[in-house]
Amino acid sequence: MSDIHWPVIVILLPLAGGVACFLWPRRSVLLGLLTALGVVACVAGLGGQVVEQGAQRYAVGGWGAPLGIDLYADGLSLLMLTVTAVVGLGISVYSSGYFERARYGQDRARHFWPVWLFLWTALNALFLSADIFNLYVTLELLGLAAVALVALAGGADAVSGAMRYLLVSLLGSLFYLLGVALLYHSFGSVDIAILAQRVEPSPAVWAAMGLMIVGLLLKTALFPLHFWLPSVHASAPAPVSALLSALVVKASFYILLRLWLEVFPFANAALAQLLGLLGAAAVFWGGFQALRQTRLKMLIAYSTVAQLGYLFLAFPLASITGWTGALYMLLSHAAAKTAMFMAAGNILYFGGHDRIADLDRVVQRLPLTITAFALAGISIMGLPPSGGFIAKWLLLETAIRSAQWWWGGVLILGGLLSAAWVFKVVGYAFTRSEVPHEARAVPATMEWTALLMAVLAILLGLFAPWLLALLEIGSPFGRENAG
Amino acid sequence: MTLLQSVFDALLGFALLWLAWQALASPDLFKGIVLFIAFGLLMALAWVRLDAPDIALAEAAIGAGLTGALLLAALARLDKSSWRGFGRTPVRPPEGNNRDVIHPSKRDTKSAHEKTRKPKPITENGKGQAAFCGLLVVSLSALAAGLGYAVLTLPSQAPGLSDSVAASLEASGVSNPVTAVLLNFRGYDTLLELGVLLLALFGVWSFGVVPERRESSPGPVLDRLSRLLIPWLILVAGYLLWVGAHAPGGAFQAGSVLAAAGVLWLLTGWRLDTRFSGWPLRIILVAGLGVFVVVAVVLILMGGRLLEYPPSFAAALILLIEAAATLSIGITLAALFLGSRPETGPQR
Repeated sequence: MSDIHWPVIVILLPLAGGVACFLWPRRSVLLGLLTALGVVACVAGLGGQVVEQGAQRYAVGGWGAPLGIDLYADGLSLLMLTVTAVVGLGISVYSSGYFERARYGQDRARHFWPVWLFLWTALNALFLSADIFNLYVTLELLGLAAVALVALAGGADAVSGAMRYLLVSLLGSLFYLLGVALLYHSFGSVDIAILAQRVEPSPAVWAAMGLMIVGLLLKTALFPLHFWLPSVHASAPAPVSALLSALVVKASFYILLRLWLEVFPFANAALAQLLGLLGAAAVFWGGFQALRQTRLKMLIAYSTVAQLGYLFLAFPLASITGWTGALYMLLSHAAAKTAMFMAAGNILYFGGHDRIADLDRVVQRLPLTITAFALAGISIMGLPPSGGFIAKWLLLETAIRSAQWWWGGVLILGGLLSAAWVFKVVGYAFTRSEVPHEARAVPATMEWTALLMAVLAILLGLFAPWLLALLEIGSPFGRENAG
Repeated sequence: MTLLQSVFDALLGFALLWLAWQALASPDLFKGIVLFIAFGLLMALAWVRLDAPDIALAEAAIGAGLTGALLLAALARLDKSSWRGFGRTPVRPPEGNNRDVIHPSKRDTKSAHEKTRKPKPITENGKGQAAFCGLLVVSLSALAAGLGYAVLTLPSQAPGLSDSVAASLEASGVSNPVTAVLLNFRGYDTLLELGVLLLALFGVWSFGVVPERRESSPGPVLDRLSRLLIPWLILVAGYLLWVGAHAPGGAFQAGSVLAAAGVLWLLTGWRLDTRFSGWPLRIILVAGLGVFVVVAVVLILMGGRLLEYPPSFAAALILLIEAAATLSIGITLAALFLGSRPETGPQR
């Protein structure tokens, strides 16, 4: 059990699954679902290994760090892999319903599965990589897969959204790559652990830091670099929107966090404050914009902008509790936002539109879907006992303890803004609209997955101690002093 | 370094900057692409001057050659669709001559059309745009100055990994350090990169089958030329693949030369028989990645780590992986040139 190469299997399995789906398009749904189940099992296997033996380092090719590439799995990687696995399984099940009978037809389903499994490969490889150049390669794979999935919806909106996304994604990657080149030239290694020992401030390192942070922020869509996100996330097919909001933007945040903690620990407080301020601005701007939207998917996309802002509040707080809070926010947002986009997808599938004002008593016709939406809303608002509540609680506690209470104010006001738009949507779901629309039955799998993901977002609040213990393995935040 | 070399380098640098600017600034897309190809060729020269013949080969073959061909193919489609979009009768391009498909005047009318269709309030927009451009220029200049300063402060002797690469070269199975890094030391990166290439094809194919107007028979020049060149190109691809073990070359360069043969063949109007465009084509497309993954899995099952080649088999395994990769890269790039999924016969 202990000598199974779980990190490798977690990467190669979805890759092989994607190739298989490409070779046997007729069987792609079955193959895709089997792969999804397999990946979940393998992530569990890796989790067992990490819990038992502590953080794992794996030298690809047997060469070891400066020459070869290392894979590294600690509590942080494991948590990200687990989120990806759970949300990925949910999205796979949902997609099996969505693409089968939706207006997209068989052809789209055939193209969805290989690309989605490649995207999953990229995510797993990214969370396991300990090498900044290898991270670039995974970013490239991830970005290209995400663009291909956005374009899958077809039509002018989706294609122009995909094009915009491609350009933004490439620009971010190139900024990051330039930073990698500067670091490699200065210190002769691209391994994160070795860089952590060797890096010392110099103009080239500052330049590398600036480039990499800007590139990654662009991909993470932190205000004001979020300009591309709403239209892209809103124009994609529902399961794709879900995985873009839940997972893809978090991947670049993960890299940023790793670099911040390990490679650039000398980054000064002013920069951390700036990131926190941008995060606060994102919370307010995203919240206000969400309130103003008339289309449900656009609203949810703007809410993603706001929720991403919370992640950056941890930078000025800079303590283990703060980082944990941000990570918990990432986790519960992933589950809740997946549920929300799935619910929106169900509504769109059901009525053929997502105009909020014309939801037309959808609560009577799709009770499960609206329940999912409301439960996810509870987590997004941050009400107990949801995962969002735990996250905000941790952040609030840190803010007060480090005497920076104003960040707490951002948390509370942001929660109120979220509450406003959630109630607005739920309100319209009860009222009769003037425009009657023909309804179409929604497959049960789609309704139930949405509900399960929402329930998961709530339950995350109850699993907190267990997950927080998981996060301490290998103490990814160990370098920071506890606040 | 002699004076002559310095002068040459300076000229090369200026020419690169000038070409890049011209390519970006050209309102005529066709001209822009031609400038881009010229830029790629000069860039290859720059790599030669930097003592990086491997990158020079890749730049010439992929950066200038194939990317240029892909851009021209995209431009041809762009023109066709814009003709259709504006209700013009599609002008039938002269047969077999890709160059004449693109006619500058067509695009000019398109942009003029867009301008007249969307009259914008000039005062407000113009001011905003000017301010935005000003801001962009200032921030880009600041970025360039900062980066320039950072690069100047870099140590001239980089503590790179070339020493440890040289020390481990013996065990890698090849004597060309670049191939050793790409296929052995950092083979995992290359595995993922093959995934990226395949993914690009998935993305393009997901747009569906675009029915293509068959060109009639190619002109005599193209016909004769392709008959002469294609066997040569295949031979060169094989040579590059083989020589990659100990001299500049390798799968990516060989694959792009193979793709050039494919592009030439496609230009003559040849299309894959529908019998082969389903399964057989797909198998070849995934062969590179597939062989890589299979080798990795087999090695793990034999008790090694991911892509840990036993030194005695390393050379053979690398050649096997590279051969499959060459085939896949070549066919994938040619398929990308075709632009959409080939029509298949009755699917299984």
